[in-house]
Amino acid sequence: MIDTAIVVGIVRILFVCIIITAAYIISTRNLLSVVSVYALQSLTLVCIALALWSLEGSIVLLEIAVVTFISKVLIIPYFIATIQEKIRIKRDIEFHYLNPTTSLLISMALMLLIYMALARIMEGTPARESLFFFGAVLGISLMLMGMMVTFSRKRAITKVLGFLSMENGVLLFGMFVTELPFIIEFLIIIDLIILVILTAILSVGIDSTLEDYHKRLHRFHLLEESEEVP
Amino acid sequence: MNTDFVLYLAINTLVVIAVSPLFVSLIKKVKAWTQGRQGPSVFQTYFTLIKLLKKEVIYSPNSSRIMRVTPLVTMAAILVAALFVPLVFVPEPVGGMGNIILFMSLLALARFFMALAGLDAGSSFGGMGSSREMSISSIIEPTTIVVFAALAFVFKTLNIFDMFAISVSTGSPSLSTLILIGISLFIIIIVETSRIPVDNPETHLELTMIHEGMILEQSGRNLALMELSAAVKMTALMALLLNLIVPFGITTSLTLAGILIALILLVVKCSILTGIIGIFESSMAKKRFFQLPSLFAMAFFFSTLIIIIEVFS
Repeated sequence: MIDTAIVVGIVRILFVCIIITAAYIISTRNLLSVVSVYALQSLTLVCIALALWSLEGSIVLLEIAVVTFISKVLIIPYFIATIQEKIRIKRDIEFHYLNPTTSLLISMALMLLIYMALARIMEGTPARESLFFFGAVLGISLMLMGMMVTFSRKRAITKVLGFLSMENGVLLFGMFVTELPFIIEFLIIIDLIILVILTAILSVGIDSTLEDYHKRLHRFHLLEESEEVP
Repeated sequence: MNTDFVLYLAINTLVVIAVSPLFVSLIKKVKAWTQGRQGPSVFQTYFTLIKLLKKEVIYSPNSSRIMRVTPLVTMAAILVAALFVPLVFVPEPVGGMGNIILFMSLLALARFFMALAGLDAGSSFGGMGSSREMSISSIIEPTTIVVFAALAFVFKTLNIFDMFAISVSTGSPSLSTLILIGISLFIIIIVETSRIPVDNPETHLELTMIHEGMILEQSGRNLALMELSAAVKMTALMALLLNLIVPFGITTSLTLAGILIALILLVVKCSILTGIIGIFESSMAKKRFFQLPSLFAMAFFFSTLIIIIEVFS
């Protein structure tokens, strides 16, 4: 068994990696790198799960690591990368309500808020001082940061990525605090894969924004009919 | 003030002046390599400085006394600021030496005079450069303050000498905090030394120049002083980052061997960091002026995070 202190140190470094990737996903305008950073974030989660497994020896964590690796590091980024090749947009520079800088500042405030709230809730329990407290704070923060990406971006594909990163937050929170049953984790991941496949099917309109998606769909219909006529 | 400290002042100033032009050319070399060029020799900056020192100084007839004192004030302020960052040898701090707030004020003083000199000659480029520099610095300086505040929180001291002494003797506080501090300080280096996402140090193009615009009217030995002071500033900031994060090598006792080893290690560490800066610069395009705050927000975000962690846990 590896020394506990070393594992705790490694997990802290991985926490930092997660924060960095989350900040990058919020603030970047380059779509290609968002996907790879998302894959990196999921990989960090896999590493955290493995580290926790070496600490606790619970077999569920190992299963979570394997399933996460297969689905979120390999399959989902691959699907999204294929979509991106099809729709040929490289940058996402349109934002609703918040620009990246403001979102970063707001997410900072959110983190502080969550930290204080959770510190109140966990006051006096043994979990307050440990790694698990940080994990919980980070999990909820990642969730909210993903939510912010989802509502501040205009492109549908980045909205999906925000949602995925939100789910990463749920997974992180689940790993550290609540011990979600494995079956639920598994179902969530299946949901995600179906979501991404649906996104792939809808990729006709995915480079549009949600507002003019209908318009564009109609236009494509007209185009197809007029091509069939001759 | 004891003999050790006097010796420290001499050694630090000599070292910083001697090595800093090397790093400027190293960055140019790395950038040239990534572009598939040979690039200038690594000693090119020394040659340029020597050449400039021999040349005559020409002042615009419109310029005032500001133009004449600026190179001296800038150089003096930056050299004193560089004294706050021990490069090879950490003495006991004397008086206010090493105070991180004073360090920042000295950098701000140099920048203020540089901006004044840009305006002084009345050329429109200089004015543009000064105006841009001031707008950028009004955004970056709060960030710098927060980053330095995070440093002060982590090391529980305001004195850079003490911070170095702590990081040499007891090792770093924790690796996760150090990563965040490292990123923040790296962004500060990029912005303070006018590197690529913010400013392009290689062009004299009207659209992009900030730092070059301000020193456009300088000539001869004054220009040499300005360029040298920019190089010294970069070295001091790099040493601040390096000696906090990878403190090995820097010595706390005054011996010849120790100082020589520290000097060699410093050059090696700084060369690696310049390599990283060069690659970072080559992999980025210059950002649009109004997108710059997102870069600063990153540094702000990470250092505030450090403060949150340090204060509340």
